[in-house]
Amino acid sequence: MNLRLSLRFQPIRVLIFALLAPLAVWGYEVQGDDANGKTLFNANCASCHKLDKKLVGPALGDVTERRTEEWLISWIKDNAALRATGDADANALFKEYNGLVMAAFPQLSDQDIKDILKYTQTGGAAAAPVATQGGDGAVALVAEPKKDYSPMVLGGLLVLLVLLIALLVKVKNTLKAVRGEPTTDLLSDASYWTRAVVRSQKFIVLATVVVSVFTLKELYYGLMSIGVNEAYQPEQPIAFSHKVHAGINKVDCNYCHSSARVSKHSGIPSTNVCMNCHMYIDGSEIKNDAGELKYAGERSPEIAKIYASVGWNPEEGKYIPDYEQKPVRWVRIHNLPDLAYFNHAQHVTAGQIECQTCHGPIEEMEEVYQYSPLTMGWCINCHRETEVKTESNGYYAGLHDQLKAKHGDGPITVEAIGGLECGKCHY
Amino acid sequence: MAETKKYWKGLEELSGSAAVQALRENEFASELPVDRFLSDDKNLNSSSTSRRDFLKFLGFSTAAAALAACEAPVVESIPYVVKPDNLVPGIPSYYASTYFDGSDFASILVKTREGRPIKVDPNPQALINGSTNARVQASVLSLYDTQRLKRPVVGGAETTWNALDGKVSEAIRSATASGKSVVLLSSTVNSPSYLAMIEQIRGSYANFRHVSYDALSVSGKLDACEKFTGLRALPVYSIGDANLVVGVDADFLNEANGQSLSGEYGKRRKPSASMLRHVQFESVMSLTGANADKRYRILPSQRPAVLAGIYNAIAAKAGQERINAPTLDGDWNKVVAKTADELWIHRSSSLVLAGGGDYESEMLALGINQMLGNFGKTVVLKYRNRLRTGDETALQGLANDLKSGSVGVLILDRCNPAYDRPAMAELLSKAGMLVGISNHLDESASLATAVAPSHHYLEDWADHQPFEGYFAMQQPVIRPLFDSRSSMESIDRWFGLGSKSALQRVKDHWISTQFAGDSEAWNRFVHDGLYIAFDSIGQLSEPALVDGMASMKELSLSSNSAGAKGLELSVYSKAGMGTGRLANNPWLQELPDPISRASWDNYLTMSASDAKELGIENTTQSNGALNGTRVNIKTAEGQVLESVPVLIQPGQAKGSVGLAIGYGRTKAGKVGDGVGVNAFALLSGSSLNKHFMSGLSIEPVEGEHEFACVQLHHTMMGRDIVRETTLSDFLNRPAVDGGSGWNERTQFETYAGPLTADKANLWKDFDHSTGHFWNLSIDLSSCIGCGACVVACHAENNVPVVGKEEVRKSRDMHWLRIDRYFSSDMNESVAEEEGVSAIDMFRQMEDPSENPQVVFQPVMCQHCNHAPCETVCPVAATSHSAEGLNHMAYNRCIGTRYCANNCPYKVRRFNWFLYHENQEQFDINYAMNDDLGRMVLNPDVTVRSRGVMEKCSMCVQRTQYAKLEAKKAGRPLRDGEANTACAQACDTGALVFGDANDPQSKIALAKKDDRMYYLLDEVGTQPSVFYQVKVRNNA
Repeated sequence: MNLRLSLRFQPIRVLIFALLAPLAVWGYEVQGDDANGKTLFNANCASCHKLDKKLVGPALGDVTERRTEEWLISWIKDNAALRATGDADANALFKEYNGLVMAAFPQLSDQDIKDILKYTQTGGAAAAPVATQGGDGAVALVAEPKKDYSPMVLGGLLVLLVLLIALLVKVKNTLKAVRGEPTTDLLSDASYWTRAVVRSQKFIVLATVVVSVFTLKELYYGLMSIGVNEAYQPEQPIAFSHKVHAGINKVDCNYCHSSARVSKHSGIPSTNVCMNCHMYIDGSEIKNDAGELKYAGERSPEIAKIYASVGWNPEEGKYIPDYEQKPVRWVRIHNLPDLAYFNHAQHVTAGQIECQTCHGPIEEMEEVYQYSPLTMGWCINCHRETEVKTESNGYYAGLHDQLKAKHGDGPITVEAIGGLECGKCHY
Repeated sequence: MAETKKYWKGLEELSGSAAVQALRENEFASELPVDRFLSDDKNLNSSSTSRRDFLKFLGFSTAAAALAACEAPVVESIPYVVKPDNLVPGIPSYYASTYFDGSDFASILVKTREGRPIKVDPNPQALINGSTNARVQASVLSLYDTQRLKRPVVGGAETTWNALDGKVSEAIRSATASGKSVVLLSSTVNSPSYLAMIEQIRGSYANFRHVSYDALSVSGKLDACEKFTGLRALPVYSIGDANLVVGVDADFLNEANGQSLSGEYGKRRKPSASMLRHVQFESVMSLTGANADKRYRILPSQRPAVLAGIYNAIAAKAGQERINAPTLDGDWNKVVAKTADELWIHRSSSLVLAGGGDYESEMLALGINQMLGNFGKTVVLKYRNRLRTGDETALQGLANDLKSGSVGVLILDRCNPAYDRPAMAELLSKAGMLVGISNHLDESASLATAVAPSHHYLEDWADHQPFEGYFAMQQPVIRPLFDSRSSMESIDRWFGLGSKSALQRVKDHWISTQFAGDSEAWNRFVHDGLYIAFDSIGQLSEPALVDGMASMKELSLSSNSAGAKGLELSVYSKAGMGTGRLANNPWLQELPDPISRASWDNYLTMSASDAKELGIENTTQSNGALNGTRVNIKTAEGQVLESVPVLIQPGQAKGSVGLAIGYGRTKAGKVGDGVGVNAFALLSGSSLNKHFMSGLSIEPVEGEHEFACVQLHHTMMGRDIVRETTLSDFLNRPAVDGGSGWNERTQFETYAGPLTADKANLWKDFDHSTGHFWNLSIDLSSCIGCGACVVACHAENNVPVVGKEEVRKSRDMHWLRIDRYFSSDMNESVAEEEGVSAIDMFRQMEDPSENPQVVFQPVMCQHCNHAPCETVCPVAATSHSAEGLNHMAYNRCIGTRYCANNCPYKVRRFNWFLYHENQEQFDINYAMNDDLGRMVLNPDVTVRSRGVMEKCSMCVQRTQYAKLEAKKAGRPLRDGEANTACAQACDTGALVFGDANDPQSKIALAKKDDRMYYLLDEVGTQPSVFYQVKVRNNA
């Protein structure tokens, strides 16, 4: 939620620019579309540059105040060529950064670069309205609270019922009075019928049956749920959000869980995989629901845990030598018993099953929980229904025709190739 | 009418004694002291725990226990901080490496999972010794032995490396200063880097020398080879080029001077017109003799006489001079002449191998091979064997020096003279300082002042040159588990050679000497585990022969077969234990001996007639176990071994006994200590080389020995469990010939005419036409019974070790057993001829012949397609798969054991106890009972719990893995990709596994073979495992 809001508008940055603008000595207005600029910046520049902070390269928030537009365009397109022309600024900059070579971006057009520069000026503030319109997928999806009418309807019906009963009793008593019989009130009627029902043998038998069936059912389901940990959501050592990574930022599941395609284990990413991105993203920009910086511009304590694990000094931007690395002790959520063999590669690569089929809407989970029951019945059911992905897999080349001949034109399910046999999962 | 039978509990009750009468009237034998307890008011009242409190506590603790049990444990999942690039959790990595322990040599591939070595597989790229025997297969478990030496030890106390290095260096310095010698004693070393290091030390220390010896010495053989080639090196045998092999007391299938011959032997034993014929002369029934087409029993002392007889017969044909040979009895002359005739026919394609390690036998064998023109053909002298280079004379010299006190420092590098040369044990302490480099605090290391723990071979760098021009690389596959150090590095530091690590030393040696700075070549060497230098140093040429025949006349041969007093004893090594280096390895201890089928033991093997004369018995107990008499033995030289059990062994030459080495360890560790007796104690003087001694006296002693034999029924009782035929029948007669062929199927008379069992059945057939159909073919002609498959199965499938007591109760857990059957003199036709009654016939059929023919038959779950076990399981825990396998779901099994009862092959194994995490009871099963040992377990296979049935799964984890690899790559499964652990370990090619639905596969061809038959075909189980008829080359 914080990050989502942070992408919408960034008041601090607007403030910085508002304050800096009058001070600009030779600042100029770049003609460009900062929304496009933001996209391009994130795709091409963000791994080495930030607007307000020096990263691998210099902070770019005020770059248009330091350099001319033409110079910037030729530098960004091919800085080596610019340096080769003997441009003093370019060579000084190169020396200042210890000969660290910046990549060339010949693919960016002049307008693209102008868009990026516009973005560095506005900080994306102008782009905010675009985002709220659903422009870049980072839309705030604040749902309208669903109004629940049921208690009111039920209450009304209850009142109606009471009125009806009262009316019926009134009618009955009136009729009785007409015929000269003694009238009864509601209470005595009720007690008469209750007594009659409770004393009836049929009722007792029926009630016993109903109660025992209900009890047995509850007992059965209670027992069957032992060891089924659906919705298990343990607290993790790092408040890692799949929603932020897989949902909002659309990081491919396989990027972190890289062994899911090849191995039985999906693999929990080692800390160095986290560092691929978090060397640059330290979470200081995360905003809370109110749109304020969640950590007051400081590094996120959660991301600091990654640094503590691997031994990264974010101030100096380098690894601490001879650091005693400490692995992150995640709590395992999906616990299959040892007697069941499960292989991710079989399902992900050979079966082409989406991760979400078993793990649920992982991209919406702030904290992961066990979505599926992981019971044998659940496995078997899927094996009965799922078709084998025989197309374009050479392994099934000969087998497919044989199976077609054997099973007719019906679907070839996992069951048809022995997916229900004990020894396929238990050995 | 109800009978009024009366039962009584004992004789006392019958006689109606008063005491019994009284007892019968009381429910309890003696009054319970309830009154006394309750009348103790004082104590009861002063107790603060009321009855009510007691019930409260009881209720609370029960509830607490119940609640605690409900909570699922929190499982942590801990990833790497920085994951190694080439490691994917769940995917095994293989590394080429090398096994050499001074006796066995193998080029291997080590399977590692998440960095843990879990299995040793053969390296198929190796040209020679690319096979793994039982010991090499088991070696991976020894890595995780908690009883390994963990830290340097000086004076019995653990210390630091610096302290130890300082002490040893100081001792070397002072020895050098005082003119005393510094000796490095090791087993055979063939590492070029190590030998170069020794040269380096020799260069700077004039008082340094290196002595090597082999546990089972072949020093005399080496001397003989020197006479022929001028080089003290054994030849390499090329049995694949031979059509006839004659072994004279040579157990060459178990070990041929370190060279592995079984692979080529097995391949050449596939029946064909050019099938290898094998004639064996021997005293102990050896693995090799059991496989021979013709086996003659000789006394060990007759070995030179038989060889000389053959020599003279061939010399006569070749026009060479005869030598003075001891005379042989009349019958033997005929046998020898016949063998010589056969050899002469197969000139330059025959091979004569002599056993023992003595000079005379090897001289004769070399002479015969030379006269037959086998040199350069089957006896290849140019690829000199460097696996046995020990020098017994040098060892004797060292012993003398020790006696005289001139040895300043004695360093023992991974050898154990206190065990395998017990006479040396006392002398070792006479060295100024005894330094041990060892894996364990073994018999010798425990005598040493300073002990440097050495790496396990899977933790260590080394290079090897097993054969001339053929190099092998031993790379580590795991970081050292303990504070141990490579022996090369230790020696380096002590002699001040620059503190090079083993890797540096090996790498420097190779890059500078062989690869001329080419680090790419070095990388390739490490990757392949092999480097064959034939091309780079030019094709090796046969060495110039020295006239060995000239020395032949000087041989003084004697035979004391006639008129000698007492028994003769041969010392031999068993297929499982070898020289005893891996005695603390429970997989090897539990492996039943292929011949005697006894595990956890060594024993005196004796012929039935000798046993009868000496009043020695083997008796079967009521629980089905075997007991035997114990004896004291005394050699002519006066060595004594007490309380040695005797096992009556069919095939043992009368007048001789055998005793296996490798047992009787006292400081091997908790598994190996006290198992058997030490046969090395009997060897001394000339018997060290000859491996036998005469004039043995045997005297039975009190007490019975309890054996742990897994098979006590020695014969097939006239049934065709193992089918066999002769080569001439195989070549000339049809397999199926209206009931008289050599491989007929049983037919049943039915209303629809005669039918085979698989046709006459009540069941619905499984359709195996689509998908895979996993089949296993077992060629009984190629199987030599070595047991490598059994240990491979142990390692692959987490099979528990149960220990001697349990094996004795027939509760061994091996998924794969190798049945051994002896032939009997009695059969139906003999019975008919001699008019023996049916009962007597069967009784006599139980007795094996004095010199029986032997067959081996590996039996594992046959994966019946009409499985008797499946139909009787009340919970459907065992069921059939579309791929032809019989599945076993352990978690479903409730342990009724109906399946085992209904299995006609008796291949199901029941977990009588909890074998894992049960250190109290199964401490020896350390692969499952301590944290370190558990690292060897295969993570893809469930460890079974108490009360469930288990059996061979046909390595379903491997077939599933291979299928998935093919699916991932999107290609069809190739033949050979899916293989079982047993078939992979089998280097004779007896076991072939594959998909019978793939018409191009080896298994599909094997299934169509004329020799194919199903075990107990008549039962109609339609197994997925089938056998190939054994063919004997009757020539």
